[in-house]
Amino acid sequence: MKVIELKSLSKIYNPDTIPVRAINDVSLSVEEGEFTAIVGPSGCGKTTLLNMIGGLDARSEGSVEVGGVSIQDMSESQLTTFRMQHIGFVFQAYNLIPVLTAKENIEFIMVLQNMDAKTMQERSDDLLDRMGIKDQRDRRPSELSGGQQQRVAVARALASRPKFVLADEPTANLDSGSTEALLDIMAKLNEEENITFIFSTHDQRVIDRAKRVITLEDGVIVSDEHR
Amino acid sequence: MILSLAWKNIWRSKRRSFVVMSAVAIGVWSIIFMVSFYNSMMGAISRNSLQHDYSHIQIHHEGYLSDPGLDFQVKNPSKLLEFPSQISDIKAASGRLIVNGMVASPKTNLGIQVYAIDPADEAAVTDLPSFLIAGDYFTNIKRNPILLSQKLAEKLKVKVRSKVVITVQDLEANIRAGAFRVSGIFHSKSPRINNGVVYLRDQDLSKLINSTDTSFNEFAFLLKDNESLIQTKKKMEMKTKNLVRTYREIAPEFDMIEEGSAISKQVITVIVMLALLFGIINTMLMAVLERTKEIGMLRAIGMFKRKIFLMIVLETFMISLVSAPVGLMAGFLTNVYFEKNGGMDLSQYAGALEQYGGDAIFYPEIAQSTYFFLMLVVIMTALMGAIYPAIKAVNLKPLEAIRKV
Repeated sequence: MKVIELKSLSKIYNPDTIPVRAINDVSLSVEEGEFTAIVGPSGCGKTTLLNMIGGLDARSEGSVEVGGVSIQDMSESQLTTFRMQHIGFVFQAYNLIPVLTAKENIEFIMVLQNMDAKTMQERSDDLLDRMGIKDQRDRRPSELSGGQQQRVAVARALASRPKFVLADEPTANLDSGSTEALLDIMAKLNEEENITFIFSTHDQRVIDRAKRVITLEDGVIVSDEHR
Repeated sequence: MILSLAWKNIWRSKRRSFVVMSAVAIGVWSIIFMVSFYNSMMGAISRNSLQHDYSHIQIHHEGYLSDPGLDFQVKNPSKLLEFPSQISDIKAASGRLIVNGMVASPKTNLGIQVYAIDPADEAAVTDLPSFLIAGDYFTNIKRNPILLSQKLAEKLKVKVRSKVVITVQDLEANIRAGAFRVSGIFHSKSPRINNGVVYLRDQDLSKLINSTDTSFNEFAFLLKDNESLIQTKKKMEMKTKNLVRTYREIAPEFDMIEEGSAISKQVITVIVMLALLFGIINTMLMAVLERTKEIGMLRAIGMFKRKIFLMIVLETFMISLVSAPVGLMAGFLTNVYFEKNGGMDLSQYAGALEQYGGDAIFYPEIAQSTYFFLMLVVIMTALMGAIYPAIKAVNLKPLEAIRKV
């Protein structure tokens, strides 16, 4: 089942002055359960592509369909709801809420979804367990290592039971040990629960673990390798 | 969790929150202090003027206002002096024969108003004996005693038992002069009385102006309380055809004092609240700008604009909810302190305060409703202060905000 389908997608910055094509006529589809890495040199358009898939950035041309739903014509409010219900985000800088504990950070998105307290509790406990940070549940981000913070960020992304997880350079700030541990967790989730992950990365360790590697150069897909 | 998050957000920058909370608390305290101080000052001016000068109600002959003097005396004065026994709201009554004249001492002479009174009646209405600072109340001098204010005594360079000459016109416009001896020197709380009123006994003035019967051209009535003012006036009007006026009608400055006081208090409140408003806007704006990236993340993961708005407003609301009661309590305790410790002594400014009829000791006066009103005003101010930063927060574009370093 197709989770994402991009058709002739382009992103043009400064269209009225000096147009810059960050993404140029990209078409691709991502099936459920894929573990995909979008790779390429800095400035090739990886993050822009991810942002358009996530509804954070508007496309200039083409279309973006997520789960069969076209998102380009959605209002801001509809997009907010859509992101909350269907997309999990993992950011390079973790972006956790510093005043909340690990558990509260995970539960926050479920609060936004108006989930009942019992379900929320069970879900956050389960995710903390699977991320191997159950004993860190009451710690605030500042009391956690980078790897632990990123695990909380992944748990938060999964808490809303999204259709897929978009991870923008998730290992860029992690040491190799933390990177491997995080990749193990995400690979396990992918294999056991068929959760779809799409990364933008230039980290070779992530690329090595990916089942599909899409290479971008100057906003154009130059290779799409299924492993 | 939004509530919990808002509360936790307040304590991210403890110092900043403490500063803004202190500003709110100090602002509230200062309003309470100033309003109490102002109420006390204005209250004293009104009270002194009312109790020691005008009294609640006065009765004059219809023609007296156009020609104040001896021509328009009220007939049958005993009927009016019986009002306290007939109208229960009246505490005391005093008749006065007021005439313009001159007082002369060996050193100088001054234009004055002569108040010819029944000493006992006047004492019951204006509490005149309590203001004596030298001599006594008409009893130490048997023939033609006179009471002078301290100010007049100083100008005339006379003391108790000194002789002064009073010159007035009689009913036929003849100049009459009589020697009087200073029985007492007083210092009234009314600047008007201090500046130019002397008191004689009514029978002494009658002799001086060759009047066979004792009559008065002014009757002052002290009521048991101010609440029954209008009702009592109506009752009195039914019993006499003379002109009955309340102190508000006699001296419009009472209304001016009250209105001026209310305006001053509002201006003080508005100034302090404006200062707080900008302080709150500044603080919350800083808080929002510091959290730009985080707010972008919240928008990205699906937090609606209205919830972001609510979160910022709640933070401000909580700041005011914590700090305003502290200010209110501090204001309340300050007032209690002054009440229990003999008031705030401003004796060093007594001269200036007396010019306006105020007291040198201030006892804070504030209505309980002011505390509730202030709490409401602070909350409203805080909420207004939250609007601009909250709008700034909701207008952040998630992507641009996340990218912000």
